[in-house]
Amino acid sequence: MDGSTQAPEALLRVERVSKSFGAVVALQDISLHLPAGEITGLVGDNGAGKSTLIKIISGVLAPDSGSIEFRGKPANFASPAEAREQGIETVYQDLALAGNLAVWANVYLGRELTVGPKILHILDKRAMLSKTGEMLERFIRNVPPIAEPVESLSGGQRQVVAIARAGAWGSKLILMDEPTAALGVAETKAVEEVIFELKRQGLTLLVISHNLDQVFRVTDGVWVMRRGRVIGYRQTARTHPDEIVSMITGAAAAAGAHA
Amino acid sequence: MSVRRGSRLAAIARRQGVLIAFIALIAVLFAATPTFGTYQNLINVLQQNSIIGIIACGMTFAIILGGFDLSVGSVTALSSVVGATLMIDLGTPGIPIGIIGAVLACLLVGATNGGLIAYLGVNPFVATLGTMTVVRGLIYVATNASPRFGVPYSFTTLGLGRLFGIPNPALLFLVVAVSLGFVLHRTRFGHYVYAVGGNAAASAQMGVNAARVRFAVYVLVSLCSAISGIILIGQTASATPQAALGYELTAIAAVIVGGAPLGGGHGRMTGTIVGVFLLGVVANGLNLFGVSPFWQPVATGLILIAAVAFDGYSKRGGFGSF
Repeated sequence: MDGSTQAPEALLRVERVSKSFGAVVALQDISLHLPAGEITGLVGDNGAGKSTLIKIISGVLAPDSGSIEFRGKPANFASPAEAREQGIETVYQDLALAGNLAVWANVYLGRELTVGPKILHILDKRAMLSKTGEMLERFIRNVPPIAEPVESLSGGQRQVVAIARAGAWGSKLILMDEPTAALGVAETKAVEEVIFELKRQGLTLLVISHNLDQVFRVTDGVWVMRRGRVIGYRQTARTHPDEIVSMITGAAAAAGAHA
Repeated sequence: MSVRRGSRLAAIARRQGVLIAFIALIAVLFAATPTFGTYQNLINVLQQNSIIGIIACGMTFAIILGGFDLSVGSVTALSSVVGATLMIDLGTPGIPIGIIGAVLACLLVGATNGGLIAYLGVNPFVATLGTMTVVRGLIYVATNASPRFGVPYSFTTLGLGRLFGIPNPALLFLVVAVSLGFVLHRTRFGHYVYAVGGNAAASAQMGVNAARVRFAVYVLVSLCSAISGIILIGQTASATPQAALGYELTAIAAVIVGGAPLGGGHGRMTGTIVGVFLLGVVANGLNLFGVSPFWQPVATGLILIAAVAFDGYSKRGGFGSF
């Protein structure tokens, strides 16, 4: 495959992973890798298997066969918590935040700081409030009001918080499923700035997107999937949207078959 | 989020509407009838609302979690009947055994509710409607629908006694409200109740054990009902199988009037306490003016609807900008 001669070392390798749901084959013998420190796109039509693949990498689903290697070690995570512990965070389109909780509470959700007797788990709200600001400022230029409930923020601000939260907890790899699908132009730009900032600080990112403009704006390389298989890898600078579209739709393969 | 200066009063009215209504009601009653402000009457209000108040404290957790518990009335009666039966059969030394037995019986129902809802995914309405009916039926079967008399009279200290002039049930209500308020607003468990009520999927994704939180909340609600049932024994030295009928709806009404929407994710323990006493003081006021007690549910229902309608109206921007 084109990608195998890439210069940067791979942070994550997926080797011959397959996954079926009953009679439906979602992933068929998938192999791909994510170059460390790069933003990699993952594109394909609905039902190509992108979300299933992300769920396998992040420990939500277990593969039927095949293996995953993260930072050079075998990594078949039993749960998202295990994946998170190893430094893989996932940002979903709309499930990410609890709207009724303040920004700081969402940043610390599941990782609350506590004080006093261990058994009571009394929240250390003051410490969490004061640290949330610093954590988000690392990645966000205009940090939203951290004491306000998330439901009072705009969709873009929410997504920025969700992505920055993933970066703030020292993760190595962030998986993003359609991070800007529901956002306007300005908000999309703000989210992309955070994505660039994460890369600048050394994180590796995998972005699922249906928006090819965005893929070409943001990514260093793209994997294309179709009907549960990997079609190929292209370096973004050396390909063209037309080529990616033909790989997504199968026009390229059809043309090849006729040749 | 800057609130515009002009709408600040509106914002206060929106957030504290029920509290303002409550204070206004008390002011009106003070002015309108000399009886309301007497020590004896205020003590009556405390005495009459403590049992429902304790149940409402537990119900607050269930509603913030996005559910509710219809079985609390039946569980209160269960606590009362089991506790009284053990105390009657075993005499004075049986009092602690009666209390323990009542609590265990209630926890069993709470664990059933919690198991059904948290681990089997049964809708809270269906699960608790089921246990409400089953538990009440079992009480009738076990008692043949007749009351249990003969609890050692000393036990009425709990239900009828006073400490520093305050009825013991009210003191227990205070202890329950303060400790559960602390749990809800200061501890990680309470925080998770809000998180799961706000977005269960997101909470689970971040490593919160949503099922365990749900289970624990329904057990907690049953514990509150157990306490209420034991106080009921203490008020009459007996137990009736028909006890606490309809308490579930009064408790849910008090929590909602106190500002916790049925959808979950919002609400405060102080709101519930105001809700309990708002409904209680209205009932007391009607009583003082010689209105037939049959009007009391009418008033409760109207207040419930008014509070929810006011909340919805103000959220749509009826009181200035949002």
